[in-house]
Amino acid sequence: MRARLLLALTALALAACGGDDANLTLALNWKPEPEFGGIFEAERSGAFARRGLAFERTGGPGAPVVQMVTARQVAFGIASADEVVLARDRGSDVVAVFATYQTSPQGLMTHAARGLDTLEAVLRSPGTLAVEPGLPYVKWLERRYGLGALRVVPYTYSIAPFLTDPTLTQQVFVTAEPIAARRAGADPRVFLVADSGFDPYTAVVITHGERLRRDAATVAALVAALREGWRGYLDDPGPANALMGPLNPEMDAEAMRLAAEAQEPLIGVKDGALGSMRAERWAKLAGQLQELGLVKEPQPADRYFASFE
Amino acid sequence: MTSTRLARVAPPVATFVVGVALAELVIRALDVSPLILPRPSAVLAAAVAESSALLPALGATARAVLGGLALASTLGIAAAVALAASPWIQRAFYPYAIFFQIVPIVAIAPLLVIWFGYGPRAVVAAAFVVSVFPVIANTLAGLLSVDPALRDLFRLHGASAPATLWKLRLPWALPYLLTGLRIAAGLAVIGAIVGEFVGGGGLGVIVLGAMRQQRTDLVFAAVGYASGLGLALFAAVGLASRLALRHWHVSERER
Amino acid sequence: MSRGVALALEDVHRTFHSDVEGEVAALAGIDLAVAAGSFVALLGPSGCGKSTLLRLVAGLDSPERGVVRRSEATGRSDVAMVFQDAHLLPWRDVLANVALPLELLGRPRAEGRGLAAAALGQVGLRDALRRYPAELSGGMRMRVSLARALVTEPRLLLLDEPFAALDELTRMALDDELRRLWREAGLTVLFVTHSIAEAAYLAERVVVLSRRPARVVLDHAVALPAERGPALRAEPAFARELGVLQEALRRGAALA
Repeated sequence: MRARLLLALTALALAACGGDDANLTLALNWKPEPEFGGIFEAERSGAFARRGLAFERTGGPGAPVVQMVTARQVAFGIASADEVVLARDRGSDVVAVFATYQTSPQGLMTHAARGLDTLEAVLRSPGTLAVEPGLPYVKWLERRYGLGALRVVPYTYSIAPFLTDPTLTQQVFVTAEPIAARRAGADPRVFLVADSGFDPYTAVVITHGERLRRDAATVAALVAALREGWRGYLDDPGPANALMGPLNPEMDAEAMRLAAEAQEPLIGVKDGALGSMRAERWAKLAGQLQELGLVKEPQPADRYFASFE
Repeated sequence: MTSTRLARVAPPVATFVVGVALAELVIRALDVSPLILPRPSAVLAAAVAESSALLPALGATARAVLGGLALASTLGIAAAVALAASPWIQRAFYPYAIFFQIVPIVAIAPLLVIWFGYGPRAVVAAAFVVSVFPVIANTLAGLLSVDPALRDLFRLHGASAPATLWKLRLPWALPYLLTGLRIAAGLAVIGAIVGEFVGGGGLGVIVLGAMRQQRTDLVFAAVGYASGLGLALFAAVGLASRLALRHWHVSERER
Repeated sequence: MSRGVALALEDVHRTFHSDVEGEVAALAGIDLAVAAGSFVALLGPSGCGKSTLLRLVAGLDSPERGVVRRSEATGRSDVAMVFQDAHLLPWRDVLANVALPLELLGRPRAEGRGLAAAALGQVGLRDALRRYPAELSGGMRMRVSLARALVTEPRLLLLDEPFAALDELTRMALDDELRRLWREAGLTVLFVTHSIAEAAYLAERVVVLSRRPARVVLDHAVALPAERGPALRAEPAFARELGVLQEALRRGAALA
């Protein structure tokens, strides 16, 4: 009994300190797809290797990326900016270093046949809303427009309910579900959440604050490699898509091509390097999350991210 | 009477309190991130602070669990009675009852939502699917173990099949049925929560939302509520068992 | 005037087919005549088929060959059985247990309860009406079982080693009680036992069966007075009867 207790405590202690592996592992939060195209391209073209980075990929749908980075089980991970603000509010020391999407691809789609032209109209009409429970932007929309007579149900990453229910509205990544719905014969009307004023950086690469303090040079090298990878992917997504194809049987080559095309306008940076972030946007996001009651105390914006221009 | 009740309840409660206190100290000492493992005090705080959301959710989950258990009991007993009718019926259909035992609820919950729609009906169905087999299996065992001499006695006095079922076979199977219900109760809570992950409502949605918002303390708090529900059901079945069997069954008499 | 039925078994055969043992012949040609109102003991070694024979008489089973006849047609209330274990319904109290046969026959509840209480009075358990079987001693449970058997005023009472599991004193007390109840009610009694002393003490006639497959080895009228008491067991006449029966049993056990 005592031996077992000791073993459990040791395991807990290890979890708390985290094991730092020699490889730089990055945990994805979904299956390989154009959202991570730049990462795969960086790998494929040797951008990591050339900088002496022993890069490794892990993770997948449902991976608790923020927890994994907090516990130092992985060196890097993919999250969204609102996850970073929330995690830091709970005492975690995760920091964003690269923002893939300057404009959030999160959105809602409903059937065009309903003839609803604004998000407000959609949310005020009766029907079903399928979203992941707890999504901050849903709270945002609720606060802004109210959810009216909508029945809110969990979204389980299948568009089947959407295809069979004409009054169903569901969450989407504009690079994914709307394309799949159109290819299945539906006619969706898509609304970007960013257009309603809630626009967190998305598919953000995060790391642990401790790593930044200890070894900023490696992080800078990784960011540079990612930049290179994304430039390459934006030029020609083909090779990286071909790499991701076998790893993601749910998306065929055509779906990847369409997704890469759809996401281009969301990635480009007007004034700065690819993946760069600005303090004002972080401050605004933290303020919004505080208004929604999800964050107790916003931190100074420069805690949330690090710049590597 | 009260002192023996106290003697029975005190040890597990004491173990719980000591365990929680120890966990609190260790988590504080090792400075474990609240995202990974929250302190018991934080979980308790969340359980209280969010009770305005957790209590109605608990009510929704509890209603679905009770609905699922009610269905599992009635249909389960009926199925057991049908299976007990003849050996070839058992051979032909029992394997399909086992299907309920082995099908992973996580995999068929989406199917249940497709068939029953979002909302409580699918959640009740999920609770039913995971909890019906113990009822069938245990009740069947009870029905098949009826004292042959008593069966002879009933036949001798010309009792009809319904009379034999109602006055002999079902009472005989009651202790077995109650054992099955004890098992089914805990399973029904699991089934309901998984059903809620897909169908919406109740503690399941709160767990998902809390995970999404990095509120690990709230996840534990919701799980705590769910465990409380499971415990309450278990105790309720235990009480029913004591009341029903106190005069005659060896399991409830040595008390 | 006895209300008992007379029984006639003619060339009764019963064979069982089991997966384990194949064909097992339990009874191989039993001829037996039981007069109305008489007390007949069936004596034989363990496993010889006595219980099978009793079940055939009860109508719970049918022979492959031969006939089981009763002198008059009997209804559901005319045959009663007492088993080695009291076999009471543990979830019912004593009164409800004794009232069970009447309940199954469709008699009104109040009437059933009244008759049950009377039957319990007959076996000396008037004070135990509300107790549960689990609270009773073996002997008391057996008395309840007897009361249950008598509550329908049967004309044929079948007993299958009912006192075998009880201690000696209780056994002797119940032996006397059974004889008394038999005399008072005038029913036909068929009593299965493997105890020579019990058969001799209780019955007017003892039918000795061989070991399996059972045949009648001896059909013996017991040469003892009609009035019997515990002192009888010490009499030389009793020992003589034991001797006769023992000899027959031995013969029957040796048969192939």
